[in-house]
Amino acid sequence: MNEFFKKYSVQLKSMALILMLAIPFFLFQGAVQDSLFQVNLFLGLMMANMLFVMAKG
Amino acid sequence: MTALFVAKWMAAFSPILTVLVLMIFKNWSGSRAGAAGWFVALIAASLFFGAHPKLLAYSQMKGILLSLNVLYIIWAALLLYHVVNETGAIKAIGIGIERFSADKSIQILIFGWIFASFLQGVAGYGVPIAVVAPLLVSLGFSPVVAVAVPAIGHSWSVTFGSMGASFQTLMAVTGYGYAYLAPWSAALLGIAAFLCGICCIHVYGGWKMVRHSYLAILIIGTAMAGTQYILAVSGMWTLGGFGASLVGLLSGLAVAKLKRYNQTSPSQATSQMGLAWALSAYFILIVIVSAGVMIPWVKEFLGQVKLSFSFPQIVSLNGWVVAAGKGKAINIFGHGGALLLYSSIISFLVYQARGYYRPKAVKTILQKTIQSGVPTSLGIVSMVCFAMIMDHCQMIYILAEGISRVFGSVYPLIAPWIGLLGAFMTGSNTNSNVVFGVLQQETAQLAGLSAALILAAQTTGGALGSMIAPAKILVGCSTVGLSGREGPVLKATLWYGLIITGFIGMLTLVFSFMM
Repeated sequence: MNEFFKKYSVQLKSMALILMLAIPFFLFQGAVQDSLFQVNLFLGLMMANMLFVMAKG
Repeated sequence: MTALFVAKWMAAFSPILTVLVLMIFKNWSGSRAGAAGWFVALIAASLFFGAHPKLLAYSQMKGILLSLNVLYIIWAALLLYHVVNETGAIKAIGIGIERFSADKSIQILIFGWIFASFLQGVAGYGVPIAVVAPLLVSLGFSPVVAVAVPAIGHSWSVTFGSMGASFQTLMAVTGYGYAYLAPWSAALLGIAAFLCGICCIHVYGGWKMVRHSYLAILIIGTAMAGTQYILAVSGMWTLGGFGASLVGLLSGLAVAKLKRYNQTSPSQATSQMGLAWALSAYFILIVIVSAGVMIPWVKEFLGQVKLSFSFPQIVSLNGWVVAAGKGKAINIFGHGGALLLYSSIISFLVYQARGYYRPKAVKTILQKTIQSGVPTSLGIVSMVCFAMIMDHCQMIYILAEGISRVFGSVYPLIAPWIGLLGAFMTGSNTNSNVVFGVLQQETAQLAGLSAALILAAQTTGGALGSMIAPAKILVGCSTVGLSGREGPVLKATLWYGLIITGFIGMLTLVFSFMM
């Protein structure tokens, strides 16, 4: 697993950055449309993404 | 002060403490520490400050808009740096300056203090550190010193730099005009200019080198602080940082010719590229940024497309209200990042036409830009996002209120620290003024203090916060190969930031007694 993270480090971090930049737009859309499900779903995704950054960033 | 307030204050401080401890004592990278701070802020906000999913959603969107404004600059600055570096120009600039003046203190003052302040005057948002740090490395300074010096050196010029954006914000949020705010702001920032110059030298060579450089610091500092004061109080505050550093540059070049600073024989090393060609990318940058910011029709033409979002009023479960309004707009073609991008493209074409690139240079430039940009961006986004959570849940306000309650009658002593805290959290003097401007104004009025003096201390602290803001340190580290190892730089700048802010606080207190 560590080998995998090492080999694809730049790609994985780039993906984490793209997600970090994109997720708030979906959060915003969910909040504007009053969709608690969408907001919670994307907050969960944001947490998972932050967890990845904290571990491997 | 109740035990409940103390507990809330500790909870509000926990994300900041997390980032500081992890970066300074555990040597975590900015991105990892930022993500950890985000989690701590999320937990504290949910448990103690009434955060709810919709509040978090809006705060994160505002955080991304703020981050994109910064990332635009960073990616373009990194691109410019790699466009220049790939030709060997950075090395050539180092050799060229060494031939002009071999005195290390003069090199530090010209690049780390004056040129960094000039770049702050025309661009800002971390550009001074991103551009100057690699230049100092090419002159033989260690990467930590190369990042710390411009971080310290440019901070005094932040309020009146970037065409006075931070000062404009201070006027907007408090409702005061420049005639009321400018004199004290320019005075305190002028004093900070001298202190920044001294610290730039001290971080490299200690007190021995400070003694060697005192004349240069005195002459250049007086020229810059004086020019900034005159421009600010005469209504030309938009040019305060730019004009001051331009005069500083001229006086710096004159000082370099003094006998005192010409005792070491200049290096005889040569490079294939002449100094003028090596610096051409920066000349192009100066011309483009000056035109984009100062020529009204160019500014208007480039500023036609803006990305912005409207936010409704947000109320936390504890009743803290964030007013409805527009988030930070992104000026797609007139943004500082766009101007840097134009400079990068034109510089690339110029160097390409001169035949300075090896085959496949474009691929190498893009690869290196991505490699250094991604970790930096992760750190900035996570930190700005957790600062926005704190802002929307009253956490930043609680921190400031706690500080002002503890210090009561000696509030002027603490006023710059509040500005510093805001800039540390958000990486921006402007944001610090937005968050704390009104709080400082109201506290000053309640305490019967001069609002002009307290607000000057606020914006000076906010400007000085630039030297310790992780968001800016990350930018500099990414350009000198220190990505993921920002801790030592933060450790170096933190002490200087705290000392200068403490000194400004003491001066504010003394001035408040005199008024």
